[in-house]
Amino acid sequence: MCVGLSARVLKVSNGTAIIDASGAKRSVSSELIADLEPGDYVMVHAGSAIAKITDDDVNESDELMKEFMN
Amino acid sequence: MTEEVKKGIEFLKNYDGKKLRIMEVCGTHTHEIFRLGIRKLLSDKIELISGPGCPVCVTPAGFIDSAVELALDHGVTICTFGDLVRVPGSETSLQKARGIGAKVKVVYSPQDAEKYAEEHPEEEVAFLSVGFETTTPSSCIAVRDAEAAGIKNFSLVTANKTMPGAYEAMADYTDIYLYPGHVHAITGLKDCEDMLKKGMSGVVAGFTASELISALAIAVKKYQSGEPFLVNAYPRVVTEEGSLKAKELVEHYMQPCDAEWRGIGLIPASGMELREEFAQFDALKKYGVEKTSGHSNPGCRCGEVLQGQCQPEQCPLFGKVCTPEHPIGACMVSNEGTCSAHYLYGRN
Repeated sequence: MCVGLSARVLKVSNGTAIIDASGAKRSVSSELIADLEPGDYVMVHAGSAIAKITDDDVNESDELMKEFMN
Repeated sequence: MTEEVKKGIEFLKNYDGKKLRIMEVCGTHTHEIFRLGIRKLLSDKIELISGPGCPVCVTPAGFIDSAVELALDHGVTICTFGDLVRVPGSETSLQKARGIGAKVKVVYSPQDAEKYAEEHPEEEVAFLSVGFETTTPSSCIAVRDAEAAGIKNFSLVTANKTMPGAYEAMADYTDIYLYPGHVHAITGLKDCEDMLKKGMSGVVAGFTASELISALAIAVKKYQSGEPFLVNAYPRVVTEEGSLKAKELVEHYMQPCDAEWRGIGLIPASGMELREEFAQFDALKKYGVEKTSGHSNPGCRCGEVLQGQCQPEQCPLFGKVCTPEHPIGACMVSNEGTCSAHYLYGRN
């Protein structure tokens, strides 16, 4: 139940977003995030999009490794 | 896999410094680390222990007892996340109560429960509101929407919890926290900074293979310096201030309360309950049901597992009478539970 889903936003209107999570489409609350737009990626928990995210985990990890490991 | 991540794996594999314990507080971290085989990549000097970050696992037996009482004695329709249905209460579970007439409906979110109440005005509906900072805002949205729409047949049974009290309670059992990325997407970094001021080290981690490996490698590298540290290794999601909207919403509808954590006991101010002005949405108050502690199976060692004091395999029930098909302890029920992870991935 506490597992977050990353998803792509398809549509936003009146505090609700239609998202696509690995092909599964559903409606979630989008009101916790300002200026959400179609095409954005979000993290969804229990029916609410809780944070806007990028899909670039690999580059971010590489940058962190360069900063802290060398 | 990139060269940097490969270097991280080599570093974790060949680490030969002082022995250290890293607690992955979040149940999803526990499962992903197992699923990706990361434990097998680590030097013997690095011990990963699982913490109390699975909301189903820390929900006390008395909470299930209250839900069963609401369903059977008051005829309330219970809406819940699926994991909770099989969690054992003191005497029975919601699944077994279903067999003798309880109406239990599995929903995806609190908002779905509120919608169900709106569509079924002839039923009294209570949502089992468990979870950490990531799920509490959704319960508040459901209460707000019910109030705005004048829906009188919807309420919450709250067992929402917050992490800072648990971090403090677990501080003696670990050297480093792998902080749960999504909790801190909501709360920001202040709670971790407060722990740092108390000398507790930690790395905020994401959930992909590269994010977990880099977070662990950075944790071990920083540990070698001997100084307490905090690194946000999940900046694509976690910001300094977190989600102001979520925090404002929760602050408006809920207030801190002491909370019982299954197997651990009472942690002061580690729970969230509805404020008095929203008492009409508090199911226990609405139906006059007493809050009780309940009691778990005395042979179950979930409490010690949740504090990293023992591994699931050291519990006499694990894998014998307690399995995912027939769970005795809550840690075997949820997909995020430590015992479930060890059962699914850890056995040879």
